[in-house]
Amino acid sequence: MHFREAFTQALRTLRAERLRSFLTMFGIVWGTASVVFLMSWGLGVQAMLEAGLARAGKNVVMAWPGKIGEEYTPAGDRRELWFTRADVDGVRRRVRLAEAVVGEGRFWGPIGHGQTTLSTDVRGVEPASMDIHGTAIAAGRAISGADLRQRRRVVVIGERLRRRLLGGSGVVGATVRIRGQSFRVVGVLARVGTQLWRDNGEEIDDQAWIPLTTLFTLDPRPGRDPDVIDRILVRVAQRQDYEALKVELRTALANRLRFSPTDEEAIRMASPIDLLRKLPVDQTTGLLLILGGATLLIGGIGVLTMMLDAVQERRQEIGVRLAVGARRRDVIGQFFLETFVITGLGGLIGLAIGVGGALALANLEVPDLIPVPILRGWIVALAIGVMTFVGLAAGLVPAWRASRVDPSVTLRAE
Amino acid sequence: MTAVAPVIALESITKTYASGRVWVEALRGINLAIAPGELVAITGPSGSGKTTLMEILGCLLQPTAGTYRFKGRPVQAIPPDGLARLRGEDIGFVFQAFNLLPRLTALENVELPLSYRRVPPRERRARAADALARIGLAARSRHLPAELSGGERQRVAIARALVGKPSLILADEPTGNLDSQTGNEILGLLRELHAEGNTVVLVTHDPRIAAEVERTIAIRDGLVERDARGPARDARETARDARGTARDAPGTARDLASRPS
Repeated sequence: MHFREAFTQALRTLRAERLRSFLTMFGIVWGTASVVFLMSWGLGVQAMLEAGLARAGKNVVMAWPGKIGEEYTPAGDRRELWFTRADVDGVRRRVRLAEAVVGEGRFWGPIGHGQTTLSTDVRGVEPASMDIHGTAIAAGRAISGADLRQRRRVVVIGERLRRRLLGGSGVVGATVRIRGQSFRVVGVLARVGTQLWRDNGEEIDDQAWIPLTTLFTLDPRPGRDPDVIDRILVRVAQRQDYEALKVELRTALANRLRFSPTDEEAIRMASPIDLLRKLPVDQTTGLLLILGGATLLIGGIGVLTMMLDAVQERRQEIGVRLAVGARRRDVIGQFFLETFVITGLGGLIGLAIGVGGALALANLEVPDLIPVPILRGWIVALAIGVMTFVGLAAGLVPAWRASRVDPSVTLRAE
Repeated sequence: MTAVAPVIALESITKTYASGRVWVEALRGINLAIAPGELVAITGPSGSGKTTLMEILGCLLQPTAGTYRFKGRPVQAIPPDGLARLRGEDIGFVFQAFNLLPRLTALENVELPLSYRRVPPRERRARAADALARIGLAARSRHLPAELSGGERQRVAIARALVGKPSLILADEPTGNLDSQTGNEILGLLRELHAEGNTVVLVTHDPRIAAEVERTIAIRDGLVERDARGPARDARETARDARGTARDAPGTARDLASRPS
């Protein structure tokens, strides 16, 4: 009875001034919808950025050699460092936080097929490179251990490079020329997509992968060793171990290559984790929440003033209720409930719009770098929480004001 | 005069309002007792303090000083929630302006005091229907106040006052907003309730109404000027007489003059 009465009265209060009710409800509806939608969208942006960064390899850390730092060489002859495959093995043994380790080499070179010759980013890889970069095979096979041992002239090419070089048909088994040598295409990498983090080269979709050992024969290596690689790639299992892994990696290499572990210039490191950390994702989500919450708050203030006016207009009614036996707390409860019904009504509509909108966009097929909202249960719970808070806060003052009505208005005023 | 314990007993009741920087003494020492089953008219000109007295009798207002006992209980000692309960269970109000809640039907209006007493809905509805039947408006129970005539509204209000079986029915200018004939019907109804044993106190500034009841208490300048008992007349007789008398509807808002602004 009391809830039904509160509900009908809430509807009456809303009907009393349609324009005002519309604007007030609009505030609540919009506020709730935007809390849900903006938070979901924030998650979507975050996911989009993480996916974009992970396309180079999830949690991959890249290290490449530099020169001994100036303060570590009093004579001023800054020794140049280089990595060999033995260093990769060393890292593999010593760096416990590394889940996977590979050494890779690269050069820029012409790749040709028929009349087409393209300049491309050729990578000398190991079998584990597939895993480190998180790539899959779309057709054929990956570079194998046997390819490396026998220095085979085989190549696995990126999806976009395949399209540009070979077109549609007869891809696997085709012969291409790399630096004048014939290579057999044994596989095509699955499309990776737009990378937000790149290592000064083409995107994986444009790369040509050959066995690392084959690359040594094709590209004269600098330094004294024949198996000089350009970089060591490691993957850290947990993102929070990133800093610790860098220390481990630097220490392991410092021992092998005889430089000070504190020498920042001896080896360089980079990772998409650096960028991921710099992204103001939490701040952005927080800002979006504040924006949505502020709208909701403004709606709440609208409800508050509307209810205050309703209390003023219904003093006579309140007086009658008090005269026939209502306690102050009955009156408080009534107006609290009414305010809550109004807020709840708008909130539920807003929730439906926000959830509906987020879900409708969530399954949309979009290009790589366009975020789609990701709806989570906690977002809905948060919106309901904020909405409840606003409803309670907006009801507080009007209900208290209503309970202060002097019952003698029933006898005095007309 | 009577051996029964009074429903209402006022001793040296005073009420002082702050009106800006001026203090207004609305009541300056009222003594009176009303026994169960009495029909009493409280009269007085505007500004006499009778509305203030009415508010104190109805436990809507606490006196500044003095002792008010309702069925023997000192009202000043009752906490606000207790007063609300007292109003709900022991006092039935009838107002000049009817004061029905506009969005509730006649039946729901009559149910209102019972709903605050947590009477279960089924019983509440039955008792409210009985009360409406008692005042002859059973057929109108589903109507909203706006769909009822003034006299019907006041009868619904009387049913609302009756439904809780109160110890006291307090009627404040109950005929003030009605034409004379309807007013007389309402008066007749109140007399009937009295005849059935209810204690009825009605506040009026109309001396002709006052003249027709068995006891009249005249208030002037915050004091009891006169407390007169006349011969009790048969309710039906009075109602018949009153119906024949053409009488102007009394003014409505004059009591406002006594309220400090």
